[in-house]
Amino acid sequence: MIPPETLVYLFMAVAAIGSTISVYYAIFEKDLLKAVVFSAIQSTFYAFLYFLLMAPDIVLVYLPVAVGLIPGVLIILISKTEREERVDEEAS
Amino acid sequence: MRRLVKTLVLVSIILGFSFILTVASEYFIPGESVRPLAVFYLSTTFNPWLPYLTVYSPEAVTAIVWDYRGLDTLFETAVFYLALIAGIALARGISLKADPGNEGGLSVIVKTVTRITGPMIVAVGASIGLHGHLTPGGGFQGGATIAVIPLIIIITFSVFFVIGKGVTKDKMLVLRSFGLVGIGLTALAALIIGLAVGKTAYVFQNMAKPTSEVSLPAYFNESLVSGTLWFFNLFEMIAVAAGFTIAFLLLTYPENKEGENA
Repeated sequence: MIPPETLVYLFMAVAAIGSTISVYYAIFEKDLLKAVVFSAIQSTFYAFLYFLLMAPDIVLVYLPVAVGLIPGVLIILISKTEREERVDEEAS
Repeated sequence: MRRLVKTLVLVSIILGFSFILTVASEYFIPGESVRPLAVFYLSTTFNPWLPYLTVYSPEAVTAIVWDYRGLDTLFETAVFYLALIAGIALARGISLKADPGNEGGLSVIVKTVTRITGPMIVAVGASIGLHGHLTPGGGFQGGATIAVIPLIIIITFSVFFVIGKGVTKDKMLVLRSFGLVGIGLTALAALIIGLAVGKTAYVFQNMAKPTSEVSLPAYFNESLVSGTLWFFNLFEMIAVAAGFTIAFLLLTYPENKEGENA
């Protein structure tokens, strides 16, 4: 039988790897709207991590700011510019 | 496909480093005992048997944020206020007026869901903010949660609807200034009481100290308010919610298109 503490650590490891993968996808996504969604997924994983690390105060400030406000502000910003990220042809 | 391969490489690098760290942790294991500083905070945050050291708040984080290191938090609030002043200064000359002819926004389904969830979010935010001295949370957390609702309403109903309902930049600025004045007066509360009754008191004082007998009430009507903490949380919540609302109003105001005169 796996002790519950190990299960918590296992879940934390999965959440940490998930957040790293989300960051990778957010950086390399050309569609900026999708990148914002990946960034929000990363924030959700971080919120889980904070909760499992027993920092509920940080969870409560992180959830509205990183999952609600920042994606909202970024989506407003994207709606004022362009949705696709332009690739410099000489660089690629 | 290429991205999947890169993701696998990324994951294997992370797992490899984790394995190395696991081996390395054989030589360095952090102790499980609580550090002396944490022991001090945990043993004094709610301890009626130490009346000159306690804060009467079972929530150690809020006690630290607004009592043990209250001045830091005051200046953090000031930084947020200055950032907002800069935002308003950048958007100067823009007048936000209600436009009843502009019926923008999303579909009826989204609007109805927003109407139902809006009061719920405000209730949750108020609960987080006003119970900040009892449970995890506090003024900033509650205010940031409440600030989500103006953003959602602006996106689902359009910014003109919000302004038409009376949520204008100037009114929010008044509300925000009210919150900040409240924070300032709460910080000076013990000093004002001390001057009135002719006793020694300090700025940012909450409970009685050995050199000062002035103390704010820890209980109000037999429920715990932890002296200044409840008032700090209330005013911070108002200030943060109003401040974020101003930022969203300024960000979402449509700009003039090219060749169109203001």
